Amino acid sequence: MATSFKTFDPGKDSVVTRNLLHEAIPITGSIISGTYGLNNIKNYSHGMFQSVYDYPYLSSSANHIIDLTCGYANNSILSGTSATHLQNAKKINIYNEMAQVLAGFTAAGAVREFDKDGDLTTGDKLQQAYFINFTRLLAKDEIKKGSFSIELGTGTAYTSPFATTVTITDASGANGYKVNSPAGEYGVLFAKDSTGSPMSAHGTNGTAVGLLYYQAGIAVLSASAFGSLLTTPVSMSRTDGSAVTWPSASVESVLTSSAISGNCDDLRNRLQNVSFNNTTELNSTIYFCRADNTDFNYSANPTYLSESKIVVKTDSQDVPVTYMTSVGLYSADNELLAVAKLSEPLKKDPTTEFTVRVRLDY
Amino acid sequence: MGFLDNSGDIILDAVLTDLGRKRLAEGNGKFRIDKFAFGDDEINYGLYDKGNTSGSAYYDLSILQTPVLEAFTNNMSSMKSRLISYTSNDLLYLPVIMLNNGGFAAAYPSPNTHMILSDQTTVDYMINANTTGNSTSLQEGFLNGNNPVNGDGFIRSDQGLNTPALSSDEVIDPTLIETQYFIQIDNRLGNIRPLTANTSNAFTPTSVDDDNIATYIFTEGDGSGVVDLIGANNSATSVIQGPQGTYTKFKVASSLDLKTSAFLFDEIGTVGTAASAITNDGYTLDGSAGKTFKFIDSTIRISGVSTGYTLDVPVRFIKKTS
Repeated sequence: MATSFKTFDPGKDSVVTRNLLHEAIPITGSIISGTYGLNNIKNYSHGMFQSVYDYPYLSSSANHIIDLTCGYANNSILSGTSATHLQNAKKINIYNEMAQVLAGFTAAGAVREFDKDGDLTTGDKLQQAYFINFTRLLAKDEIKKGSFSIELGTGTAYTSPFATTVTITDASGANGYKVNSPAGEYGVLFAKDSTGSPMSAHGTNGTAVGLLYYQAGIAVLSASAFGSLLTTPVSMSRTDGSAVTWPSASVESVLTSSAISGNCDDLRNRLQNVSFNNTTELNSTIYFCRADNTDFNYSANPTYLSESKIVVKTDSQDVPVTYMTSVGLYSADNELLAVAKLSEPLKKDPTTEFTVRVRLDY
Repeated sequence: MGFLDNSGDIILDAVLTDLGRKRLAEGNGKFRIDKFAFGDDEINYGLYDKGNTSGSAYYDLSILQTPVLEAFTNNMSSMKSRLISYTSNDLLYLPVIMLNNGGFAAAYPSPNTHMILSDQTTVDYMINANTTGNSTSLQEGFLNGNNPVNGDGFIRSDQGLNTPALSSDEVIDPTLIETQYFIQIDNRLGNIRPLTANTSNAFTPTSVDDDNIATYIFTEGDGSGVVDLIGANNSATSVIQGPQGTYTKFKVASSLDLKTSAFLFDEIGTVGTAASAITNDGYTLDGSAGKTFKFIDSTIRISGVSTGYTLDVPVRFIKKTS
């Protein structure tokens, strides 16, 4: 009896596997704050965050890559209601929103503040922070642990932000990540000198300066990266076109008196490079399509026959031969559910056997 | 689709078809891969050069250089010709499926298509009232799609070894007889009906895919009357020159949409012109003299389940709109 289908042996011909796929994501500072001016920067009337695109956002080619925002805790020293406080409530709301999603709640039901070293029982809190939210387009399923790096400009003058730089990484993320967050795993971000020695006053490199939430794709950057961490805190803002020097433009001052969008502008001014590897989790089923020597040696291709005679045979003693180019995977109802194509024809005759391995990723 | 890079190692480009994605989305367990088949859609076996003087290693040089297209996601566009397994390696002839174009199974001569009249208005107009005035006056090549029971027209295909080298009196090798067929039709346009007059209900398709292609499966002896051995009684009417296998015979009913609305004719059809005129015993739909007819050209695919051979039968659904 002729047959064109071969049924899989469920225990033998298919296997389920899981693979992690990593992509390198380099984001140069020139895209964030230079190449396209403000055309790839989108601010919203609500003023709660700022979106960064990789191309002018009015173009259909633009991809949304990062959202930036900032905030501080309600009991931060920056919190207040004086005339110099701008968007105070929104900054607190942003901080609380990020904290409740990423850090969760205390036993008493209060929003837990970000902890500097991830030890929730004790230690300093991150009460003033910038938030860098990477879109799912970049982060995919998660940021690969140990691959994250930000080159941050720490030059004192606003106009020469990269005169000195620090590198912030999740160096310990690969084997020292934390799992006590409701938003998945996270690592501590550490800063060390890169260009010059802007942190020398602290005596050591590798100071904790933020948190990186791998599955959420969010970096929480302490405002101290521009302030107390450095020997000379930086001028964060140029409000009227001329350089405003510290301390009037200190990060604390700007976080208080500038709008969130202005703070995001100032942060972008000091982002030289961001890079990480993302991770896509591929769940695969591998089907082993086995063609034994007696299988698939004839074809239903109309060109295979001429007046019903097989064109590749001269007499009946010639071996039949076919050339496979495709594999079809079917349901029991003969519905074609998946198809795979070989990059070149494979010759099949009674002297050969094949196992074609088809992997379907989900 | 582009061609696959064939400059290095053999790679495999696998995708879910649109139907596969639909079944996956339905989440009801219908996405369950149960079996596989190999295909050779791109191969032209006519390039097999048995006369190459350089030796047998050169016979298939052109075939092996055939570039292969990337996978189509449309399930109807892939795996049109499948590789077949037979236990014997010494077969020299394989069966084909051919359209039997005789009598009331005939296709309308030009454009060599079965004409399916979609509604009673069209049927009435095309019936020659000057003769009998009954339903049988539709000439060969026309199918009464409005009420198939009242029409004589049908579609028939024959299967067997179509070669003058073998006598039709010879008994075909039982392994070459196709006993089960897929018949596929655009479900928006019509459905498959039995030939016998007293069973007018439509068959139920086994499945309808995301492109509205309905698949029916008919087996010899399943009671539908669609598949039967050609046999001695109707051997003379078969188009198969050599040993004969089975035939399929069925009628086609137009869908409710085609009967009651011209929407699909406007959407995917054509307005008839003098050049596409059709005639039935003096009655002509030619797009002139205030007459308007619209038509949709489609195909009905008949495939052998085990032998894999496929025949596309062109059909034209016709509606007289004024």
